[in-house]
Amino acid sequence: MSLTAYLTLAALVFAIGLFGVLTRRNAIGILLGIELMLNAVNINLVAFARFHGDLLGLVFTLFTIAITVAEVALGLAIVIVIFRVRRTVEADRLDLLRG
Amino acid sequence: MTLEAAGFWVVAAVLLASSLAVVLTPNLFHAVLYLAAALVATGVVFLLLDSPFLFAVQLLLYAVGVMTIVVFAIMLTERLVGERITQTSRDLLNGAVVATGVFVGIAGFLIRASPSPPRPPLVADTTPALGRALVGPFAVTFELLALLLVVALLGALYFARTDE
Amino acid sequence: MDANVWLPVLVLGLPFASFVLLAVVAPLRRAGGAAGAVSIAAIAPAFLVAVLVWGEGLGSEATWSWIPADEGPTATVGLLVDPLSNAMLVLVTLVSLLVQIYSLAYLHDERPASLGRYYTFQSLFAFSMLGLVLSPSFIQMFVFWELVGLCSYLLIGYWYTRPTAARAAVKAFWITKLGDLGFVIGIVMLWSATGTFEFRALFAKAQEHALAIEGLGTIMFLVYLGAVGKSAQFPLHVWLPDAMEGPTPVSALIHAATMVTAGVFMVTRAQPLFVLVPAVLALIGWVGAFTALLAATMACVESDIKRVLAYSTVSQLGYMMAAAGAGAPYASFLHLLTHGLFKALLFLAAGAVIHAVGTNDIFRMGGLFRAMPQTGVVFIVGTLALAGLPPLAGFFSKEAILAGVWEADMTGPFLMLALTALLTAFYMFRVVFVAFFGRAPAAGHPHEPSWTMRGPLWVLAALTVLVGIRLAIGSVGEHHGPGWLPPLSVAAALGGIVLAWAAYQRGALDPGRLAATFPFSVVDVLARRRYGLDALYAGLYRSFILGFSRLIGWIDRYLVDGLLNFLSAWTLRGGDLLRRIQSGHAQDYVYGVAFGVLLLLIWSQWWPR
Repeated sequence: MSLTAYLTLAALVFAIGLFGVLTRRNAIGILLGIELMLNAVNINLVAFARFHGDLLGLVFTLFTIAITVAEVALGLAIVIVIFRVRRTVEADRLDLLRG
Repeated sequence: MTLEAAGFWVVAAVLLASSLAVVLTPNLFHAVLYLAAALVATGVVFLLLDSPFLFAVQLLLYAVGVMTIVVFAIMLTERLVGERITQTSRDLLNGAVVATGVFVGIAGFLIRASPSPPRPPLVADTTPALGRALVGPFAVTFELLALLLVVALLGALYFARTDE
Repeated sequence: MDANVWLPVLVLGLPFASFVLLAVVAPLRRAGGAAGAVSIAAIAPAFLVAVLVWGEGLGSEATWSWIPADEGPTATVGLLVDPLSNAMLVLVTLVSLLVQIYSLAYLHDERPASLGRYYTFQSLFAFSMLGLVLSPSFIQMFVFWELVGLCSYLLIGYWYTRPTAARAAVKAFWITKLGDLGFVIGIVMLWSATGTFEFRALFAKAQEHALAIEGLGTIMFLVYLGAVGKSAQFPLHVWLPDAMEGPTPVSALIHAATMVTAGVFMVTRAQPLFVLVPAVLALIGWVGAFTALLAATMACVESDIKRVLAYSTVSQLGYMMAAAGAGAPYASFLHLLTHGLFKALLFLAAGAVIHAVGTNDIFRMGGLFRAMPQTGVVFIVGTLALAGLPPLAGFFSKEAILAGVWEADMTGPFLMLALTALLTAFYMFRVVFVAFFGRAPAAGHPHEPSWTMRGPLWVLAALTVLVGIRLAIGSVGEHHGPGWLPPLSVAAALGGIVLAWAAYQRGALDPGRLAATFPFSVVDVLARRRYGLDALYAGLYRSFILGFSRLIGWIDRYLVDGLLNFLSAWTLRGGDLLRRIQSGHAQDYVYGVAFGVLLLLIWSQWWPR
């Protein structure tokens, strides 16, 4: 399969993830969408690394995965704290910063 | 149709389907399970791209680690709220339009891009090279990452602990 | 440093040290009488040193660079010690000393804090005036010129709770400032043409005929404007009578003996430059003579004793200016010195009278000679000196001025000055006859003042006589004038005295009926209205300056503020509108990011290159 095929796949996953981030009401759901988008980026990195014979993409992917895990852990911790305080994880009702 | 092509189409179908399920299913718990499927499918894509080590990392760290955390979070919040969390979506049409727009934008690049280079033959297994890179030129980054994970752990601990 | 320099520095430094001490050490200043003691303790040795400097006839010039520049300093500070400044040093320190002693008694009813403030200003004034007379350059002179103006403002407004005093202070400040504006423009123009502020350098150039600058006339006219304001020349004389709102010792020191003569001193000092422009010199002469006559007529109808003296001062300053304009700076300066003595005497004596009867109106005084004979005697001595009767000091200086003006072929000014001499004797003896020998009973309970007030009076009276005798024995200067001049001036003075006697003592002439007959009626009406100048200035002030201020105020309030209000209102409204974008929903922000990405994609792909 050509590079374009992999990139198209990644773009589709990215778009789906973005859709999830935009439409989910639950904060955890939004986090899931973000995970999808990050995965799409990882696919891109690995595909470029393979087709250009460059190790850098793989190293970068490794880092991205690790950072993502950290991000998820922190994000969920924040969600739990918000839940404790506001009794909801609905993003629509978390509007303390409304202007 | 080569084996690789066949595998790609199958994996692509599974990945897209599970991804859509993640963002569309009303049951949050199911969404997490679909995400696990999507992550595994991504790992298989890595495998198709001759990166077995990344496949392993994806499975172990990502699929299992992230899953565990998310499931814990869901169960914790469900326990706190005392009812099942269902999730609904809002502004489906707007989200679809914007997401499609972004996809079309990226696709425009892909169409207009110069024809992609042929897949070069695999020189050697990338795993030893990856290992050498991690402890060689990227050693500092690697250690910083370790630091980041520790900080994230502490942060999560700080946020999640019960008061007093 | 040799004695030529450090003695004058000492004279200058003592009042300054006193001022700094009083200004910085607040408890001492608030102690009142102690502050006066400090100030007097500083000015008394300064006076002695000044006498020493004058007696030794020291002469030196010391300058230090002040504004450094590439080709030598742009401006210098320093001391110019010559006979001119030596004489002024003695006059200034002497009158300052006497006035400060006199003030102790005159102002003893003041609160201690106010008295301390008074002596602080007195010290500052003494320092400023001494600095002015010692200035070796126009720029330093201007600095001290403004300082004495400031002191004048502060001391006129000493009783600042009185609206009239506050208004008079502001009036004096602004009207002299009008002249100072010309002065500073003039010296800067002179500097840009010659590259120096220093008198010595300028005079050297003048002697070498190297001062053929285009527009020198304009420059010197502008410099002269400073003297017009400071020395109360027509048409800027209107501030001086109002300045009488200040305490009487202040009037004696600043508005009779020293500060107001700064203009005459400056013209005398810069005489070598003024000589180069005969037109300006002639103008100085004519304006001086006209001022003398005008002020004399106004003094004739004034009933406030201090205002009579103020108009008399304006008149005598006109005399000095006329002499300076006629090219007789020696006569001018001589009259400056003698006038400083006897006018200070008159003011202090008038102060003693006012202190005793509590009013300024001469028609509410009467028979004071019987109640306070010592004051009466010294007042009459001063009056005779001012009227110009030999052998008192005023006669010789006045006669020298008349001679100088006559020899300059300025017939018009000469006639005006001669008439002024008559009027001077008339209005001064009017005061004497009405206040000291009048039949009307005096208000209050008149009594002789304490010795601290009497002492300075007697010193000044003695000096007036002694200087006159000294002048009578010695030569009266290079101008002897025609032989008929001394009899004429004595006749004019006697004529004025007889007229005053006839009108106010003997009752042979009814002043009211005399004033009603032509041509006196016209002069009387005009003089009583001060020739409409005050009204003119007030009208100009109201119509132009206030009108302009109102216009500016309107522009400020409605255009400038309006614009700003408009802007701020729209900023608020715009913020109100824009803040709705900030919904607080994280996903709305993601929409923003996504749109941004979309725009970037579109721009990067379909933007025409």
